[in-house]
Amino acid sequence: MIRLADGQSVKNGVASAAEASAKKSPASFRVRVLRQDAPGRESYWECHVIPYEANMNVISVLQRIAALSTTEGGRSVAPVAWDCNCLEEVCGSCTMLVNGRTRMACTALVDRLLDEQPEEIVLEPMSKFPVVRDLVVDRRRVFRSLERVKAWVPIDGSYDQGPGPRISPEEQEDAYPLATCISCGCCMEACPQFTKVEVTRLAGESQEAFEARRNDAFDKNFLGAHAISQAMLFNAHPTGKMIADERLEALTDRGGIQMCGNAQNCVAVCPKSIPLTRSIARAGRAATLWAIRRFFDR
Amino acid sequence: MSSSSQSVDAGDTSFLERHQFLIYRLFSLAGLVPVGAFLVVHLLTNASVLAGPEVFQSRVDMIHSLGPLLPVVEWLFIFLPMIFHAAVGVAIIAGGLPNVGSYPYSGNIRYTLQRVTGMIAFVFILGHIWQLHAMGKPLGGGAFDPHHAASTAAVALQPMLVAVLYAIGVLSAVYHLANGMWSLGVTWGIWTSPAAMRRASWLSIAVGVALGAAGLGSLAGMRMVDVDEAKLIEGRMSEARELLEGKAVPQAAVVPTEGSQGE
Repeated sequence: MIRLADGQSVKNGVASAAEASAKKSPASFRVRVLRQDAPGRESYWECHVIPYEANMNVISVLQRIAALSTTEGGRSVAPVAWDCNCLEEVCGSCTMLVNGRTRMACTALVDRLLDEQPEEIVLEPMSKFPVVRDLVVDRRRVFRSLERVKAWVPIDGSYDQGPGPRISPEEQEDAYPLATCISCGCCMEACPQFTKVEVTRLAGESQEAFEARRNDAFDKNFLGAHAISQAMLFNAHPTGKMIADERLEALTDRGGIQMCGNAQNCVAVCPKSIPLTRSIARAGRAATLWAIRRFFDR
Repeated sequence: MSSSSQSVDAGDTSFLERHQFLIYRLFSLAGLVPVGAFLVVHLLTNASVLAGPEVFQSRVDMIHSLGPLLPVVEWLFIFLPMIFHAAVGVAIIAGGLPNVGSYPYSGNIRYTLQRVTGMIAFVFILGHIWQLHAMGKPLGGGAFDPHHAASTAAVALQPMLVAVLYAIGVLSAVYHLANGMWSLGVTWGIWTSPAAMRRASWLSIAVGVALGAAGLGSLAGMRMVDVDEAKLIEGRMSEARELLEGKAVPQAAVVPTEGSQGE
């Protein structure tokens, strides 16, 4: 009975959405893309007109743009470059600005976008990461932040350490939402406290020297909400908490949790609805206690 | 914000970078205590003018009874913490990239307003100190006379433009404190869950409304003071105070006192 009713309502939902799009669906629509040919080059806008099809997402729009490779003015151009992989909001690689807001391109549905803004769909690369080409950005800093806070459980050793401690269902429920982070970078892009760091390799600089210089530049700037949340995830884990103090040290180092300005955009844009501000506040509390402990116990 | 000329040696960091966490936490704390606490006391003292010039004068007398210690207290607990809070605040604002246009969420609007009101309050406080505090006298300000509290304040706040600027300045400072309290609670980890943050925001709104009413009430109260009447009251209180302090001898008592005239 219940299943039937559910099925019915889902069917109705699909039917009404299809009807709505059939009523208003245009023959074609315009896509404005902010392109950039290479790192450090000037960016420029380019318009493409794409024939409308039902149930498109931004990835399928980019596939059409690549297939046509012709601008609105009829000029033949190189296809727009973009990053994507899983197409189901799990891999975190297709983050871009769609109509000025950071989100995953794979779950940005054209019908909805045209409902909000019928004139055109605007695509831009993320603004807080160095552009590699067109919509492809270098998200290395997302992962550097995870390295800074040691967002892992240290279990490497030369012998079998046996099974880990048990985790209660309550703890699992608390931790699971944090574990769904896909490192997409939306929280960093929308954060007004998170600013772009772009380090370019100098002439004659070795790869090692360049990487050290780049990591130093990353490390003195804000971690981002995802890394703070991951630090809290692993500090709550019975084995992960063995290096809890090292994570707190990283959280209170330069560019750490103190950079947060509580604008709370991170939690508003997170595609996985991770309670990032709860993690930040918990990290703030842990940092407060840790700082007191460190000051008075040493 | 591109950083392309950083030192390769990661150990080579400045004092400010190494103590960033401590500095930002002290900045956060200073905003509440003593700067925020001072704002509360200041606005409530001013609001006492609504009970009449004599009540306000007695509050001011209480503060000024500190005598030569008053500037020490002012600098230690008000000006220096405020300068520290403002200096770090300016650095924080300069490092941020407000984006309410793209992300018009309530939290983001409050974040942006926190910065805007901070800057307005900073400029307002400088102007306010120049206009009314004794330190402003060499620069043509310093209009407030602690012995004639209500009357001098009433005269200074009489022009409509001054009153409007004060209303903006006071409300900015109040918003900055009320929202800053909420933000401080997240920063220090006092409220951590979204539900607790919502409850805390009600607390913040209540504090903001109460302080805003006290601020606007004082402003209106000062402007409604009958200057001539207030001067008379303040004159009487001044005499009484000097009497108590033994600095003056009452007129009526001068003649009958034996030996006082040397006769």
